[in-house]
Amino acid sequence: MNCRECVEHLYEYLDRELTTDLEREIRAHLADCPPCGEHHDFEVVFLKFLHARCSAQGAPLALRRRILEQLFDE
Amino acid sequence: MTSQPPSPPPPDAEQKRASFEREALAHLDTLYRVGLRLAGNAADAEDLVQETMLRAYRSWAQYTPGTNAKGWLLTILRNLFINEYRRRTRHPETVDVDTIEPYAVFPEVQDEDPQATFFDRIVDDEVLRALDDLPEVFREAVMLSDVEGLRYEEIAKVLDVPVGTVKSRLFRGRRILQARLYDYAVSMGYIKGHTT
Repeated sequence: MNCRECVEHLYEYLDRELTTDLEREIRAHLADCPPCGEHHDFEVVFLKFLHARCSAQGAPLALRRRILEQLFDE
Repeated sequence: MTSQPPSPPPPDAEQKRASFEREALAHLDTLYRVGLRLAGNAADAEDLVQETMLRAYRSWAQYTPGTNAKGWLLTILRNLFINEYRRRTRHPETVDVDTIEPYAVFPEVQDEDPQATFFDRIVDDEVLRALDDLPEVFREAVMLSDVEGLRYEEIAKVLDVPVGTVKSRLFRGRRILQARLYDYAVSMGYIKGHTT
């Protein structure tokens, strides 16, 4: 595992979508390579930030009410 | 002529409504968020979500209880959007998205701000604007994964593409988004960045 391969699979690693073997290789590389370790931490921060900032908004209450009324008419 | 009092709904209709509320309506916020990012405005998003719920309710018999209701609903929403809304709101991209090769932000900030604290200073509206500026194929992949938490396999089903395509769209979508937010942070002076 080299740095380029590691960065290429970093998102899949963070998304827990890798095979067990590849996941193990990435984990070992991250532990041994400080720059890749920092890159990993950076992506973790970014993904958390993205989730927090984009998931705050929910459906308006009026919409929920309209949908419920609509179901009662069915 | 006798006026009839409103009759209570038959028990199976009652049951259907209860299971729909429990399993489908629970995902209303997700549908609205995704609808809003697809349609681009609140009025169309509300119509889109309401119509999605109505269609889902009418075909509720086809849904197997306890399976992936979120994915099932998102598929209905997305198909409805493509077939009936996209024409009057946004247009599908004319750029060839496969040629977009975004750069990685981390090497740019590695020395100055490796912990990425500059992200914290960016306001929500700007983040959503950046998301809206993504080509649609990237925007929907990022929404489904990073905002709504679907697995690659589930995203592939909703978007009707192979898992490998989901992977590459997420990779590029996240990088484009990052680069755009980084440029914004530099322009606002939140981070010095590389002066060229």
